[in-house]
Amino acid sequence: MKLKTRIIFLSLVLIASFGCDKEPDKPDFDRGAMLYNLASNVIKPSIAESATSISDLESTTQTFVANPSQSALDDLQDDFIFAYKKFQHIKPFNFGAFEDYGIVGALNTYPTDTSKIKSNITSGSYNLGSVENVQAIGFPALDYLLFHTNDVQIITEFTTDPESANRKMLLTETVTKMKSEIELAQTQWDSDDTDFIAADGNDVGGSTSILFNAFVMDIELLKNAKIGIPAGNQTGGTTLPNYVEAYHSQSSIELAKESISGLKNIFVGGTGIGFEEYIRDVEGEIESSLADQIISKFDQCTSSLNSVGTPLSDKVDSDNAAVQSAFNEVKSLVTLIKTDMSSALGLLITFQDNDGD
Amino acid sequence: MMATSSRKPLEILFKQVSAAPLTVYRICFGLLMLFSTIRFISKGWVQSLYIEPSFHFSYQGFEWIPYPSEAGIWFLFISLIVCSVLITVGLFYRYATIIFFLSFTYIELLDKANYLNHYYFVSLISFLLIFISANRQFSLDQKLGFTSPSEKCSLWEIRILQFQIAVVYIFAGIAKLESDWLLNAQPLKYWLHTANHWPIFGDFLKQDWVAYTFSWFGCIYDLLIVFILIIPKTRKFGYFFVIVFHFTTWMLFPIGVFPWVMMVGTLIFFSPSFHEKILSFFRASKTKLQTTPQKTTSKQVVAFLTVFCLIQLITPFRYLLNEGDVFYTEQGYRFSWRVMLMEKTAEATFYAVDESMDVKFEIENSDFLTPNQEKMMGTQPDMILDYANFLGDEFADTSFTKFGEILKFKNPEIRAEVFVTINARPHQLYVKDDINLLAVENGYADRSWLEPYIK
Repeated sequence: MKLKTRIIFLSLVLIASFGCDKEPDKPDFDRGAMLYNLASNVIKPSIAESATSISDLESTTQTFVANPSQSALDDLQDDFIFAYKKFQHIKPFNFGAFEDYGIVGALNTYPTDTSKIKSNITSGSYNLGSVENVQAIGFPALDYLLFHTNDVQIITEFTTDPESANRKMLLTETVTKMKSEIELAQTQWDSDDTDFIAADGNDVGGSTSILFNAFVMDIELLKNAKIGIPAGNQTGGTTLPNYVEAYHSQSSIELAKESISGLKNIFVGGTGIGFEEYIRDVEGEIESSLADQIISKFDQCTSSLNSVGTPLSDKVDSDNAAVQSAFNEVKSLVTLIKTDMSSALGLLITFQDNDGD
Repeated sequence: MMATSSRKPLEILFKQVSAAPLTVYRICFGLLMLFSTIRFISKGWVQSLYIEPSFHFSYQGFEWIPYPSEAGIWFLFISLIVCSVLITVGLFYRYATIIFFLSFTYIELLDKANYLNHYYFVSLISFLLIFISANRQFSLDQKLGFTSPSEKCSLWEIRILQFQIAVVYIFAGIAKLESDWLLNAQPLKYWLHTANHWPIFGDFLKQDWVAYTFSWFGCIYDLLIVFILIIPKTRKFGYFFVIVFHFTTWMLFPIGVFPWVMMVGTLIFFSPSFHEKILSFFRASKTKLQTTPQKTTSKQVVAFLTVFCLIQLITPFRYLLNEGDVFYTEQGYRFSWRVMLMEKTAEATFYAVDESMDVKFEIENSDFLTPNQEKMMGTQPDMILDYANFLGDEFADTSFTKFGEILKFKNPEIRAEVFVTINARPHQLYVKDDINLLAVENGYADRSWLEPYIK
């Protein structure tokens, strides 16, 4: 018996050493390196850019409030769109610090509750952090305040209008709140990134799974909140034009495209290692790579959004077919990611014991 | 079963043998159940699997089971803890096993989204323990005189536990005799690749030949391990593989306590003297127990064993009654020991449609299902239908606005667009397009409402 065991062991070792010699080494992929790259070259720079853009927004707000001229309004509106676009890149990181501070909800819950904003202006007393104001703060609130009517009227509202003082106060406080929140999250990420990179397992608390699930959630938001819901897909065909993101500034399509480019950047890992390389590593040499399919699907989503035209709030009624085809492209992106990708990388969407699959 | 003498096989079942294996088994089972129940609670799964869901996927034939209140669910889990302790120390053993079996099985029957083979295994073992007198030594029942003491038991009491473990392994092995597992080394190829990275083993596990070796070894192990454990000469050698195999799966996959259940369970194959050594290690005094004679052959026991074993042997093969690939249709997939066999992921979008009114509502699954339920539902056709029927009821009296008018559905249909991927194949359409799922019967018939499997 003992001799037999030894023979078996020896032959196993032999097989192992032969196997190692023969098999060409696969590219050296490691999840820790991917997480390091994503944290250092994608996540933290995106948050920094977003924080800077909101900080810039705060200073143009101050300039505008001090002297609500046309040129100050132009600058403010430009900075708003710029910051809103930068925000699209960080929305997918809705875990950890972002979840702790409720960043995504606080900065971008829409449709805007315009009557709440109006009543806040009139009363001049409110708590922007309260639940009832969740649709009256963040980018959607600024979108209303800065774009809900023509520039001349907006300037009037901030100058000669009897409520102008209150309006200025609300604008300033809304922006300040955004700035302080994004800075809190940014600071926390500075200390969280070590843990994020260290959790390189494929288990429950693993950063890969956490990031992937947040990534999936954000693509689903893109599909439903940005496109499907305004297009009437959840309301039996009754369109809801004012449910689009950035309804007043009519920048919905631009933001949606920005969101796709942010998501794609996470997928490819910027210029470094991302999910793309992970998939290629798992697949090995195959004809039609899932990574390529997903990348080209991202691009198809962008081009289908280009063909929708702008503003989305009109297009949902005037060219619903184009909106639906953009919706379907995003939907098939969701399918690729939730089925093929999730299954290739073994990224369970939930974490129970598993012996069934 | 394993007749070794010339006596009638039935009499052999009642041969008096050392009860040490049973005693060790009882104590280990009690401790493991205590551990796994506490683990389940501490992971927050009582909340996320049993309290949070508002819709529950009932098992066919058990829809009548009332869903307990939150307090009721906690009560069930506490009763599992209490019973596990009682089983371990052998106090009120018979009641403890009955209550454990009923509580555990009741919990399992509440939602098939939570089905796991090892839960089914626990139900079966706790059911068997009800009829097995594993409390006649080394127990408080015996110390306190609640049961007649004995160091002996009938052979069948040990054999039936061995049979149950044999069923698990051998059917798990048979299930691996298919092309994905053996010829493509899937899903292991991908699973090993993405498994936890260990300093040295990480790159090792990525090699294709390792996936093939694991697949073939796993299959051969499952098919043969029971026989290797039965033969005394090879038993220790076999148990070495039991440890290696289950420890490896435990390290690599999120498989919970199952490996431990099997590592401990297979001890039942060891000889009485082995178990007596374990017991004597803990025994304070060497005094022999006053053994009261056992009743001999019982026809009820024979009938019970026959029926139980037949059901166990037939159930895993029931999938043969249906057309289609069982991995794909899942008709007859549960209760068949198909453990860690495939990677199946789905994405399902449901629509409430009324053609007569020209309306189509896309449904947000998260409004009704937890993430875990949604994940399970997408890949399991019977659950797709259960959910569709639930949605049908939900939308039957929902009113909605169209062109400013408040309307109600006239002929609501529920349709689904489901994509599924199995073992690294590209995703494919699962449910046939434009089928009204409310019109599909959720029974034992062939699942012809699914698209054909593109393998």
